[in-house]
Amino acid sequence: MTDGELTFEQAEAELRRIVERLEAGEVAIDEAIALWERGEALYAICRERLDAAEGKVEELTERVQAAKPSA
Amino acid sequence: MAKVEAIDYGERKVYSVAAFNRGLADWVGRLPTVWVEGEVTELRRQERWQTVFFTLKDVAGGACLEAAMPRRRFDALRLDLADGERVHVFGRAEIWAQKGELRLQALSIERFGLGAHLAALERLKQQLAAEGLFAPERKRPLPRLPRRIGLVTGNDAAARRDVIAAVTARFPPARLLVAETRVQGPRAAAEMAGALRAVAAEPEVDVVVLTRGGGSFEDLLPFSDEGLVRAVAACPVPLVSAVGHEQDTPLCDLAADVRASTPTAAARLVVPDLAELVAALDRRREALRREARAVVGRRRERLERERDRLRSGGRLLLERRRTALDHGAARLRALSPRSTLARGYAIVRHDDAVLRSTAALSAGDRVDVALAEGSFGARVDEIAP
Repeated sequence: MTDGELTFEQAEAELRRIVERLEAGEVAIDEAIALWERGEALYAICRERLDAAEGKVEELTERVQAAKPSA
Repeated sequence: MAKVEAIDYGERKVYSVAAFNRGLADWVGRLPTVWVEGEVTELRRQERWQTVFFTLKDVAGGACLEAAMPRRRFDALRLDLADGERVHVFGRAEIWAQKGELRLQALSIERFGLGAHLAALERLKQQLAAEGLFAPERKRPLPRLPRRIGLVTGNDAAARRDVIAAVTARFPPARLLVAETRVQGPRAAAEMAGALRAVAAEPEVDVVVLTRGGGSFEDLLPFSDEGLVRAVAACPVPLVSAVGHEQDTPLCDLAADVRASTPTAAARLVVPDLAELVAALDRRREALRREARAVVGRRRERLERERDRLRSGGRLLLERRRTALDHGAARLRALSPRSTLARGYAIVRHDDAVLRSTAALSAGDRVDVALAEGSFGARVDEIAP
């Protein structure tokens, strides 16, 4: 799965696991830096998912009726 | 009642149609009087008719039974019945002799009352519970961030408006798909079940809310309809039921994954608070940075401790060596012959070898004598035995 396919929940869960892993300590420095970078990317994905969504209220019945003439 | 008589054609006894019908009517007429429950359809009542006719129908199976009641008696009940209403009819089976048709001759009709409704509901509840439709292990968790939210609601604006307002206030990016249906009357349950299925089948709908504002017991009855309850249980995505008020428990509430006491409470369940969500996300990023720095910091501290140990360790080693050396020098000094000579002893050498006996000496040999201070040469004069 590429990052573009990650859902908000998946990205958020991975970010949480990374923080927990860092909190547990015993991570090599190189790894800590790689985890940090990954965490920042995941944070950006989460924010992007929230910002990209645009609130909308649709009517199912209207949609069905609108679809009828062409059907 | 006229006696049913057969005409004899020799051996064969033959009945007229009227006689057969009369005989049948006579026999059916002896059946006991009973209560029959059904839905009234095709009610036919006209001023010039002596009898009111209607058909009783099973709501579930569709089985039908013709029924009739004298118009005066029917009017005296003042029931003001309409098609689609559920009734209990007290009557007995009767054959209409002229046509040979069976019908229920009604002696009394009662509208299906509250008590009867409650009993029927309780039976249905037991049956569905026994099937496991309300089992806790069937309950699914709600998505934290649904891509789209299906909303099945009546056109009674209040509940619909409450849910939409609460959802969008809490989570402005929410996308809602609203299906309006009838929520009251005999067709409401089937319509709602259809709307549920349609909404849940739409792409990206991750959760469905079924809602209706408060109402009377009868108003909420469609939400306990078997077909609707089964549709709720079969919903392919998690479903929140927000029907009526806290004290109402229509059966759809029991089959839903989560029950909300009000439409506003349902909104709180299906979407997260955006501000809180962003704050939590920011806190997590802070933790990420803090922890990553802490890992580096801990490593640096450890490194510094090790360097300190290395330095102090080296100094200590040197110190120990020096002490040991001093000790050795003292011992060396103690063992040296110099201190023995100082006490008045002398070392005598002959041919560079230190003498320990006179065995190798002869008179006239030259020896060297070393004292604590200075040395001298000498000749052996005589050797004592």
